[in-house]
Amino acid sequence: MRGSVAGLALWAVAVLLILGPLASFLVYGFFSVEANDIVYELTLANFADIAANSSYLTTFFRTLRLAFEVAATNLVLGYAVAYFIWLRSRLWQSILIVGLAIPLLMSYIIKIYAMRGILGTNGLLNRALIMLGVTDEPLTVLLFNLTAVRTTLVVVLLPFMVLPIFVALERISDTILSAAKDLGARESHIFFRVVLPLSLPGALVGAMFTFVLATGDFLAPELVGGIQGFTYGRLVFSQFGLAYNWPLGAAMSIILMIVALVVISVALRVGNPRYLK
Amino acid sequence: MIRMTGHLFAIALLLVSGTQLLAQEVRLFSFEGYAEPEWVEPFEAETGCKVKVAYTGSVDEMFSKMAASKGADYDLISIDTSIFGRYWEQDLILPIDLTRVPNTANLLPAFQSVAEVMSDGETYGVPIAWGSLGLIYDKEAFPDGVDSWEALWSPENAGHVLALDDANNNVTNAAIILGIEDPFNLSEADFEAVKQKLIEQKQYLISYYAGFEGGVNIWDQSEATLMFSMGEFQAVALAERGYDVVYSIPSEGGIGWLDTWAMSVGVKDKDCTHKWMNHYLNESTGPVMTEKMGYGNTTAESPGLDYADSLIWLRPAEDFDMRVQVWNEVKAAQ
Repeated sequence: MRGSVAGLALWAVAVLLILGPLASFLVYGFFSVEANDIVYELTLANFADIAANSSYLTTFFRTLRLAFEVAATNLVLGYAVAYFIWLRSRLWQSILIVGLAIPLLMSYIIKIYAMRGILGTNGLLNRALIMLGVTDEPLTVLLFNLTAVRTTLVVVLLPFMVLPIFVALERISDTILSAAKDLGARESHIFFRVVLPLSLPGALVGAMFTFVLATGDFLAPELVGGIQGFTYGRLVFSQFGLAYNWPLGAAMSIILMIVALVVISVALRVGNPRYLK
Repeated sequence: MIRMTGHLFAIALLLVSGTQLLAQEVRLFSFEGYAEPEWVEPFEAETGCKVKVAYTGSVDEMFSKMAASKGADYDLISIDTSIFGRYWEQDLILPIDLTRVPNTANLLPAFQSVAEVMSDGETYGVPIAWGSLGLIYDKEAFPDGVDSWEALWSPENAGHVLALDDANNNVTNAAIILGIEDPFNLSEADFEAVKQKLIEQKQYLISYYAGFEGGVNIWDQSEATLMFSMGEFQAVALAERGYDVVYSIPSEGGIGWLDTWAMSVGVKDKDCTHKWMNHYLNESTGPVMTEKMGYGNTTAESPGLDYADSLIWLRPAEDFDMRVQVWNEVKAAQ
């Protein structure tokens, strides 16, 4: 009895706070706007508008590419970091993982501002470069372009990549590694034939996280992207914050959500060890 | 115990509502800075009317609250001249009885008869504060001054220009620069010209910025010497950070905003309401507000703000949606 009440309560929370808003979002995408008023009649007009607007489409694909680049960079970097941590002693592992997780507790905006402070003309990086004599004049190419967006997203999203990979590495049983060694496998052999395949699901989960988060991000592009920092997330944002065209914004979000779902399902499928033959 | 607190609470509520019925009061719904103790206290002492203030965060929040309650919760609202149309359309504001606001005689000539607040010969708003979206330039980089917005389109200044990230203000400002007669009522051809003009500017920009602080921060972290500014405050903030900057309205003109007190259709105490407007236009309130808040006032010369005549006051745009779309296309262009 108690259990079923708690269960019902959980369902109510899920429906009220997650499914309800999501459903209203889905429905809004099929409404339209006329003279500042939302017209509550189902239509596909928003999707037709999006498909017909070349600047929306280029922005969409440019954003997907950006997110892919971020995820790919993070996959390589994140794997290296996670592997490095995995090889340390228990104590060092804990210290490094906590150190890596601390930024997750910080406000996202503050992290982006911090990146701006590092990359700016009077920023940390430029000062260091000048001090080291690498350059005389501060470099302006570090900030306010797409590279700055990529750099910022890579740095900010790195923990989302490292943590699942580390967890996957942790799950690899010592006995398997010992067995590989006992059977005479070389270090590189163990890595490529045992460790990498077994940790790949974690890596794919990480890549999926970073890709989805980077696709929907609308703050980093605005704050460090300069005039190139116009991404799909900004486009959606403008429909809600400025234009009051909620239906169009909702329709754009639906498209983004479909992309995210496809990526997630592909990653889950590929990441399942059963398909890793 | 809980029950007793409940009783006490009920009695307290009764007392409060009782005194509210007796007391004369004016209920303000405004942006911050328009009901400071410096002029609220003398008003309450002089008139015996109490001032009750609720603050809003945005123009749209204010409109939706007014629309939801049909104005019943407030007597006076602080709204800018561009938004009167929306309030008229929904019948949310009432004409002001100017005979009960004799201090309108103190208004500077530029604010005596503002067309945007008039409808059918009636006045719906009393101008109280104004500001502009001017150009900020670095004095060292431009010792001879900058007197045209075209400086923000000049190859010489590439990599030194900041612009505001805002659809409506960018479209309006570009229209002003292009010399389009009515920058708030653009034709399709005007929109195309504005869009091309704004796209052309992108190659010279460091970045767009959002918010007062946003602009100041980027200035600090880049090699900016020119900025399409959000207002006088930014020049003050930059000066505080040690930059030698000038705030100016170039020869083409610039966008000005003018806030007014407008009377809610749900007004209760008309007497106190009119007295508050009158008090706002007395000789001391405006200058005190300018000194404390930095807004221009409407009754006395505001030191440093000597360009009211060259401003084009914000008016409702022909199609806000279209403006956002054009702005998105500008930002998406490569």
